[in-house]
Amino acid sequence: MKKAAACGLALFLAAATFLPGAFRKEDIKVHKLDNGLRILLVEDHAIPNAALYTYFRVGSRNERPGLTGVSHFIEHMMFNGSTKVAPGEFDRKMEFAGGSNNASTGNDRTGYTDWFPAAALEEMLQMEADRMQGASFDAKVFESERQVIASERRMGVDNNNNAILSENVNATAIMAHPYHWDVIGWMSDIQGWRRNEVMDYYRTYYSPNNAVLVLVGDFAEAKALELIRKYFGPIPAGPPPPAVLTVEPPQMGTKRVVIKKEAQVPALEIVWHAPSVTNPDYYPMSVLSQVLLRGQSSRLYRRLVRQEQLATAVYGGQPETIDPYLFTITVQPKPDADLNKIEAVIEEELAKVKKEGLTEAEIQKVLNITRSDFYSGLQTIAGKASQLAETEMAYGGFEKLFTIMDDYAAVKNAQIIAAAKTYFTENNKTVGTLIPLGGGK
Amino acid sequence: MSRRTRLLAVCAAVLLAATAAQAAFKLPLPEKLTLNNGIVIYYLKTGEVPMVNFLLNLKGAGSAQEPAELEGIAGLTADQIMKGTAGMNAEAVSEALDFMGARLNIFASDEYAAVNAGCLTEHFPKVLEIASACLTKPAFLDEEFDKVRQIRLNGLKSAKDNPGQAVRYYFLKAYFGNHPLGQLPSGSDASLAKMTAADLRAYYKKYYGPKGAIGALVGNIEKAEALKLLNAAFGGWKGADVPVSTMPPIPEPKGIKLILIDKPDATQAYWVLGSRGYALADKIYPQAAVMNTLFGGRFTSWLSTEMRIKRGLTYGANSNFQTYRNGGVFQASSYTRNEKIGEMLDILFDLLKKAGRDGFSPEEIESSRNYIQGQFPPTLESNGSKANAYVRLAFFNLGFDYYDKYLAGIQATTQASAKEAAARLIPTDNYVLVVVGKAAEIKDQLKKFGTWTERKITDPGF
Repeated sequence: MKKAAACGLALFLAAATFLPGAFRKEDIKVHKLDNGLRILLVEDHAIPNAALYTYFRVGSRNERPGLTGVSHFIEHMMFNGSTKVAPGEFDRKMEFAGGSNNASTGNDRTGYTDWFPAAALEEMLQMEADRMQGASFDAKVFESERQVIASERRMGVDNNNNAILSENVNATAIMAHPYHWDVIGWMSDIQGWRRNEVMDYYRTYYSPNNAVLVLVGDFAEAKALELIRKYFGPIPAGPPPPAVLTVEPPQMGTKRVVIKKEAQVPALEIVWHAPSVTNPDYYPMSVLSQVLLRGQSSRLYRRLVRQEQLATAVYGGQPETIDPYLFTITVQPKPDADLNKIEAVIEEELAKVKKEGLTEAEIQKVLNITRSDFYSGLQTIAGKASQLAETEMAYGGFEKLFTIMDDYAAVKNAQIIAAAKTYFTENNKTVGTLIPLGGGK
Repeated sequence: MSRRTRLLAVCAAVLLAATAAQAAFKLPLPEKLTLNNGIVIYYLKTGEVPMVNFLLNLKGAGSAQEPAELEGIAGLTADQIMKGTAGMNAEAVSEALDFMGARLNIFASDEYAAVNAGCLTEHFPKVLEIASACLTKPAFLDEEFDKVRQIRLNGLKSAKDNPGQAVRYYFLKAYFGNHPLGQLPSGSDASLAKMTAADLRAYYKKYYGPKGAIGALVGNIEKAEALKLLNAAFGGWKGADVPVSTMPPIPEPKGIKLILIDKPDATQAYWVLGSRGYALADKIYPQAAVMNTLFGGRFTSWLSTEMRIKRGLTYGANSNFQTYRNGGVFQASSYTRNEKIGEMLDILFDLLKKAGRDGFSPEEIESSRNYIQGQFPPTLESNGSKANAYVRLAFFNLGFDYYDKYLAGIQATTQASAKEAAARLIPTDNYVLVVVGKAAEIKDQLKKFGTWTERKITDPGF
């Protein structure tokens, strides 16, 4: 959906290396302006279009109580007027020029994604540059956009049982770190944001030195760079944004959340604290998540859906986050299933991993999947721009895209066993259940 | 004054761009391969990524001729084809495909079923081998059918927990009634209760075969290799001619039908409005696209501007056309908080009237044409999207110059022809409107729109 909040687990980036042919590391031209804006340019003339991805290192991770959801709100307000562009004009001008756009906010980053005919490049760069620091936060539009977000929250969370459960489980598992709240924010904060505080937050995080601009498509590199310098060059650098200091304290026992509400079917979600992308444990845990959860051949799908027939679906995994987040297993139980039994089966499967790890074939499967996903994402200019921008945000540099397969290939069974023992513990675990009240049979 | 000047400048630049884009970008013409048994495959070699996409449409195996009492059987049959074959059970099939990171599925549409695969080129021989074994020698085991039946029954229940999904199901039933398009693809409580694996076997036997199948292969693979693999997989598939499945004419609402579904815990009210559209080969296609882009097809459309941008009533509001061989449907939909549903529907009905009465400004028409042309090339960029285009154009006899004509038609659409399209296709008095929401809070607001048939979300079925 348009301008969606990329909540929770949205950032499973597929990446790998071994790249014959086009899209090698050396095809990506890297530049940096004096104000700190990092620029990645890739010429690709397959279609007469371009994809412009402008990402900022800001997300719900940078928020505080009273301002939860504000990163996502700013993402919306970026379309509602800036110094030279009246409210509503960004979309109108872009569509008139044959372009379309979207934007998304996650835990760690906010991304603006523009797709347009090559001839519209200059106008797009001009408008992107104008709103990098010039968003106007028109007071009237501020209020109506607030209600758009409220509607988005009602749709995405309040009228969606799995999302209600997920928000409760995450907020219970994480008690101190800002990952405590969802990207969309609490409804009372949405209804309470103050304009001056929102603008202060915007000024803090929207600076060229806190952003990366990725441009892929039908243009000449020198000309594109000249235009980027022309429009983005004059924007002053800002002070480095404040560091996120809060560290989630160790959990001291299993936590349980029980929600009882009107529903036709129950829901179950279990989470454990998980490593950040910079932790070496990230890779063995990522391999494990795919073996446990990806596809109908995954261990948990086999056990819960196929063999025991306790559930109709199971999914989840471990997102790429800057700070430690959660490994999630979400189960869609059958209406009359014993939820304790489901939890016991999951624990049994985790115990097997802690004892024996994975098979060589399973590890190879993950490498194959990773490679296939990676190439699938390279079939379009938008896919290339997306992989570059997301890798920049999660890993601090796109270069990781071309070496991450080595990190996966280096994972040994002993590391998987060790990681499983470290993270899948009783003290690390939070269990959430949603039990139907009434409902109709 | 200055704004107008700038707009004109942009206008000129974009016209040039659009002309250049049209000249530069066309659907590449595929090569036609014919397998030993007559199956036609459109082939295109692409170079950059070591992957292939394969699509095969099987005429007749869709849901168009599904008997009402076996609602959902076309989809279930397609689904069960992947659940085991000679020498491979369902676990072995999923294990082999997942091991390669490959995607292979078989699904039923209205007038056809389709095999859809995407994988690394090195894995294509194995993927085709599995596709062939499943498609030509499916096992249809009783225990597999019992498993999928349970999953489907549960899916029907959980759909009612999500008003955005539920309103679509209620709309299907209200709009299409007993027409095949009104059958839930997942099956219903009633049909799932009586259907057996034997029914699926019979459905397969009657409707699946190679006659008239049309496919496409796009990717990084040489022609000789492709032809050899495709012949090995499907060239020896024998079968009698299957009955052609042509849907009965698409229903057209006469008068106004209003349905309210009470979901007492809903904090937003969700609605879908539907009315007569146009058929696949109707010449009005480009004008309808230009018109609908402005009405509800993009972010700055009338629906989105009036409901979201100006008033903050909703996160999204849009409209679209669905086209079939012998008819079509117009649909608009959105949602808003309970106390605003009356206001939102007032806006909807004002806009529906305005479209056919006033039409659109010259600037709007210009913008819509630019937008459609500018957004077109990415729709044919990936291997999969090209394969889809070839099969669709060939299957429905639309011709490979279809998109060239379409884009020319977009460029030729005028203020007058777009207004004519709106007058013909945007409904004012013959439509179906379904609302799912908390009746206690929305009922009074809905009264002025007419007489509503009210049901509870917990009542059986949709």
